[in-house]
Amino acid sequence: MSSEQAILEVDRVWKKYCRNLRRAMWYGVLDVASQFRFRRASRPPKELLRPGEFFAVRDVTFSMKPGECVGLIGPNGAGKSSLLKMITGLIRPDAGRIRISGRVGALIELGTGFNLQLSGRENIFINGTVLGLKKPEIERAFDGIVEFAELGAVIDDPIKTYSSGMRMRLGFSVAAHLRPQLLILDEVLAVGDVRFRMKCFQHFNDLIQQGTSIVLVTHAVGMLPRVATRTIVCEAGRIVFDGDVQRGLTIYEQGLVDQGNTQQSPGEQHWTRARIVSARTVDQAGQEQTEFCTGDDLRLEIVIECETPVREARLIAAVGSPAAETIGSMATPFQGFRFDLPMGRSVFELTLRKIPLLLGAYYFDISLYGPQLTDFCHRRTGIGGFRVVAPPIDVNGNGISGLICFEHGWRRRE
Amino acid sequence: MNDPPREIIYDAKPELAAPGRLLREIFQDLFIGGRELAWRIFVRNLRGMYRQTLLGMFWIFLPPLANTAIWVFLRSRGVFNFNLVGPNGSTGVDATLYILVGMIVWQTFVEALQMPMNAVSSNRGMLSRLNFPREALILEGLYDVLLNTVIRSLLLIPAFVFFSGSLHSGFLIALPLFGLMILFAVGCGLTLVPLGTLYHDIPRLISIGLPFWMIITPVIYYLPNTWPATLLNWLNPASPLLVATRDLLLFGTTEHVAATVVFSLLALPTFVLGLVVFRVSIPALVERMVVS
Repeated sequence: MSSEQAILEVDRVWKKYCRNLRRAMWYGVLDVASQFRFRRASRPPKELLRPGEFFAVRDVTFSMKPGECVGLIGPNGAGKSSLLKMITGLIRPDAGRIRISGRVGALIELGTGFNLQLSGRENIFINGTVLGLKKPEIERAFDGIVEFAELGAVIDDPIKTYSSGMRMRLGFSVAAHLRPQLLILDEVLAVGDVRFRMKCFQHFNDLIQQGTSIVLVTHAVGMLPRVATRTIVCEAGRIVFDGDVQRGLTIYEQGLVDQGNTQQSPGEQHWTRARIVSARTVDQAGQEQTEFCTGDDLRLEIVIECETPVREARLIAAVGSPAAETIGSMATPFQGFRFDLPMGRSVFELTLRKIPLLLGAYYFDISLYGPQLTDFCHRRTGIGGFRVVAPPIDVNGNGISGLICFEHGWRRRE
Repeated sequence: MNDPPREIIYDAKPELAAPGRLLREIFQDLFIGGRELAWRIFVRNLRGMYRQTLLGMFWIFLPPLANTAIWVFLRSRGVFNFNLVGPNGSTGVDATLYILVGMIVWQTFVEALQMPMNAVSSNRGMLSRLNFPREALILEGLYDVLLNTVIRSLLLIPAFVFFSGSLHSGFLIALPLFGLMILFAVGCGLTLVPLGTLYHDIPRLISIGLPFWMIITPVIYYLPNTWPATLLNWLNPASPLLVATRDLLLFGTTEHVAATVVFSLLALPTFVLGLVVFRVSIPALVERMVVS
């Protein structure tokens, strides 16, 4: 993509923070003072860190074309908000450069600047001005704003009498009538009821059609495919993926699954008699395989190490996803599979036939018991992570979506 | 909203590296970009501020009236007996009128000084979530200070009539001096914004120190132009323009001409310096703002 076409260019941007409040205050004084040093020697970003500081954004580079909608996703602390704040000009990069060609509209929090004692009408004018609209523009858009927010009957009442949903709708509606070239949306998709949300998605799609570029940050990733044309996945301040939305979502979910894998809870470190050493998904030949398609067979290999023999042991495996937690669980006694655990290492295999799971990342929670409910040996959660990478889903009501692909058939009854 | 596309660059370079552009942007945001926003926030605050009070706008009159009453009472009881002789030994101004004028000018100075820090503190939510012409908050604060000053000054009409004070031609010089004092105080307040926003000790110290500051400022007494009293006028930034405004209003002349001229000339540069400090410090302050 040539730079002439880009509406947003983020070029090798770094941002540092300090977690210690007192140090952060002092560094703030130094940072303000440094603004008065006209010429500063440029140093490599890694040399910029002072004691107690860390990089929240590291060497981030990407660009956007007009009419693109980028979903910026990642776990908490991935650097998304810092990046958005730099793009909106609220804070400055410590290294690198951000170039924007055009007018920016940002919705970091709906209704910022509302006065609860004033009427909806008065607040539309105030909020519109805060967001950068001129009085004639607000006057022209006023009826549309009220209609979009569906608050015609109460627009002259003080907004302290509005429900929180009504206030959100009003805030969104004012912001929706901005016509920027680049629109930044931070966690504002969960507005109102399903019908209003669909209206918002339609509105965003219209804006995209008209050439507006949108950067969208949300944890409600299920909504992303409705509007996003591209996904950027951030982890620990870096971009780990930039591309196709659905692939991005599975990588994001995989990151959450991996996080669960590496962060063994204190309870999981305790075991009696036998412990679950590992679990991984494998192919027919026993080689590790982490990517599957809906309808594939999936094999899970579970390795158990036993110190004291366990008679009539039971294994329970649950499939989960970051979006839905536990999806389904199965225990060995259900199929009459009974076994004893001798001392030493044992390997078990669980086969899931024709997995009905749709696009996304999944994991297993595995528990090991003796014959009684109280005979607990060990439990591991979030292990054996795998991804379903195909077929594509469609969230606009023209295909399949969600977590499960049901075997189904449609017909018209005569 | 069909503005032609404009290019915005955000990087780590100090904004002061291009001082001309910085000043142009500051004044553009103050007088063009932020004017409408400042007016709307001003009207919003005005409508909301006194809605849940019984006394309404009377709260603007109350501080100088209460302070004047206290000092007049203390003086009548002989608790203090400051000299109220005017410039060149002139007399004839009632003590109550003298103290009331001093109090109104002092109250305006204090409000103007504290305004920038209060503006940042009460708009943390907006500052940390929206990119708007931040100078609008200062302009809105100035509107507040000016409105309060105008309303308070209305007290002077019955006061002059009741205490038979006469309005001198010096009034015409007092008014612009009063304006320069406001600009000077806002400029000082703006330069304190970074420290006052990062360290909450600063606004607290100012609040606690104000009564003492008022005592060493010639608000309720006359400051003769003799050594070492005149030193107090030069060292206390609140003093020169306040004294000159009050003296010109009540006596038509002032003895502290040199200090008045110097501080008048300093007012505008101080205001501009304050705007620059405010502008370049905001991103660093937003980074460290804790918003509930």
